[in-house]
Amino acid sequence: MHKLKSSRNLGFFVVFGFILFLVGNRVDELRVYQGATIAVYVVAISSIILLTGYSGQVSLGHGALLAIGAYSAAVARDNFHAPVVLTFVIAVLAAAIGGALLGVAAARLSGPYLAGTTLALAIGLPSLANQFPIFGGEQGIFFDVGVPPASLGEDFTQYKWFFWIGALAALVSTWLVANILRSRYGRNWRAGRSNETAASLSGINVAGSKILAFTISAGIAGLAGALLSMTIGVVSPSAFPLALSFSLLTGAVLSGVSTLSGVMIGAVTLVAIPEIADVVATRLGVSETLTTNLPGLMVSSLLILTVLFVPNGPIEQHRTRHARKAAKEKN
Amino acid sequence: MFQFINTILIGITAGAIYSLMAISIVLVWRSTRVINFAQAGMALLSTYIGYEAMVHFNSFWIALPVAMIGGAAVSAFIELVFMRLLVKRSSTGPIAAVAPIIATLGLLGLIKGVISTVWGGADVRLVGPVTNVGYSIGDKTLAFSPLKLLTLVTVVVLMLLLTVLFQRSSIGLSLRASAYSPEIARLSGVKVDFIRTLGWSLAGTSGAVAGMFQTINGNGAFSPESIEFSLLLITGFIAAVIGGLESLVGAVVGGLVLGLVISFVLMYVSGSLFFIAPFVILLIVLIIKPQGIVGTKVARRA
Repeated sequence: MHKLKSSRNLGFFVVFGFILFLVGNRVDELRVYQGATIAVYVVAISSIILLTGYSGQVSLGHGALLAIGAYSAAVARDNFHAPVVLTFVIAVLAAAIGGALLGVAAARLSGPYLAGTTLALAIGLPSLANQFPIFGGEQGIFFDVGVPPASLGEDFTQYKWFFWIGALAALVSTWLVANILRSRYGRNWRAGRSNETAASLSGINVAGSKILAFTISAGIAGLAGALLSMTIGVVSPSAFPLALSFSLLTGAVLSGVSTLSGVMIGAVTLVAIPEIADVVATRLGVSETLTTNLPGLMVSSLLILTVLFVPNGPIEQHRTRHARKAAKEKN
Repeated sequence: MFQFINTILIGITAGAIYSLMAISIVLVWRSTRVINFAQAGMALLSTYIGYEAMVHFNSFWIALPVAMIGGAAVSAFIELVFMRLLVKRSSTGPIAAVAPIIATLGLLGLIKGVISTVWGGADVRLVGPVTNVGYSIGDKTLAFSPLKLLTLVTVVVLMLLLTVLFQRSSIGLSLRASAYSPEIARLSGVKVDFIRTLGWSLAGTSGAVAGMFQTINGNGAFSPESIEFSLLLITGFIAAVIGGLESLVGAVVGGLVLGLVISFVLMYVSGSLFFIAPFVILLIVLIIKPQGIVGTKVARRA
C-alpha cells in the first residue's frame, strides 16, 4: 500500500516537472531566474516544515545550515574541482553532519531554549567565515556551476540552466521529504510532537527521532544553501544574514508549518514580495526609505498576520473549514 | 596582571548591560511565559526615542528617562494589542508551541523595518554625559572610566528599585503571584491582565536603559543594523538562560558571568570570536547545567 502511494506520488512529481519544463521555455529571463529562486526557497522551506511542523522543533538558525552547505559546495568546487553533482552531495552531507551535532544538543532542549540556541548560531556562524582564509572573508568565494552543456542548444541561457538544476533538485528533495514524512519516521516525529511521554511509551526513541529529524532537515537545508549560492554566484557571510533565516521561517509559516503541500505558497510569496513592494511603492509614490524597507516590512507583517489569523496555514485552514462544513451537512 | 584587571573591568561593565537585557527577558518570561526575541528591537526603538530627546533637549539626563518611558510605552502597547490577541488566537494546533516565538520574531522584523523607515539606515550618534576616557594609575590607563562607573551605578540602582518593587510592594506580590499561578492569582483578586502589561512595560524600561548604555559605551554611533543590537539580542537571552530564566538575581549573575567570559575569550583567545563565543557558552550551560546557575530544577520544560 505504502509503495503504491509513493509511486503514484512520483507520477505527480514527474508531471509537475514536465509542466515546469514547458513553462520554463515560454517565459522571459527574469521569470526564469525567479523560478530558480522559488526552487531554492521550496527546498529550504520544506526542510523547515519537516523540522518544525512535523518533529516540533523550532530552528531560527536555518540560515546557518544553508551557509554550511553553500560554503562546503563552493570549497569543493573551487579547491578540488569537484563535478557539480558531487558538490551538491557534499553540501548535503556537510550540513547534515552539522545538523546532527546541533540535533544532539537540540534533543535536550525545548521550545524557547532551542529557538534561542539556533538564533545564536545564525548570528554567530557566518562570522566564523572570516576566521579561515579558505572561506575568503567578507568578500567570500565564487561558486560557479559552469555554463549549460552545448547539447542543449545555443540559446539555452545561464539562468535557464540554474532553473533546470534548481527545479530538478527541488522536485527530487520535495518528493523525498513527502515520502519520509509519510514513512515510519514521519509518524514517529508527529507522535513525539503531540505527546512525548505517550510516544516513548509506545516504544519510540523520541530523542533519537528528534536528532534524525534535525539531521535530515539540515541536509536539505544544505542543498538549499548550495542552490542559493549557485543563483548568486558567490558565497559570503552577508549572503546569510539573520533576515534570511527569518524569511525562510515566514515562508514556512505562510505555507502552513505542518503541510508540505503548501510549500509552493510560501516560496512564491517570498519571491513575489519584493516585486509587489516595488509596484506598491511606485503606485503610491512613497519616500525612498520606505521603498527600500517595504519588502522587509511586508515579510514581517505577513508573518505576524499569518500567526494571528491563519496559524496553521491556508491549506489546513481550508481543510478544517471543509471538514466542519461536511460534518454540518451530515447532521 | 594589569591586563588581567582590565579584562575583568571590561567584562563587568559589559556584563552589567547584558544583565539589564537579561532582566527584561526574565520579566517578560515571568509575566507571560514568552521569550521575547523582539526585546533587542524594542531596546533599539527606545534608544532612537532617547536620541530624539537628545536632539531636542541636548541633555542625556532628559534623554534617558524619555527613552525609559518610551520603552515602557512601546512594550505595553505590544502586550496590549498584540500578545493578548496572539494568546487568544493561536493556542491550538501543531503551531501552538512555536507561535509566540515566531510572532516575536515577526515583531523584531517589523520594529526594525519601522525604525529604518522613520530614521533611515544611516548611523546616528548618541553622546554620554561623562567621558569614556579611563582613569589612569601612574602611566597606565585603566579600562574603567567615569562613563563605565555611571553604567554600573545605574544598573545597580535599577536593580535595587526592581528588587524593592518585587519584594516590598503589593504590586510586586501581584507580579510574583501571577507569574506563579495566573489562575489562583485571578481568583484571589489580582488583575492578572494588568499585571502582565506592567511586567512587559518594566521589561521595556530595563531594555531601554540597556540600549542607551550599550550605545554610549560603544563608539556612540548606532543604526538599525548595528552589530551591538544583534549582540544584545543573543547576550540578553543567554544571560537569562545562564541565570535560570526565573529570577532577577539570576539574570544579573548570568549577565556578569557572560560578560566576564566573553571579555576573557576576546582578550586571551581571539578577538574575532566575538559572535561565536556566546553561542558556545550557551551550549555548554544548556548541556551541563540546564536549570541555570541559580535556577531550580523545575521550570525546564517550557
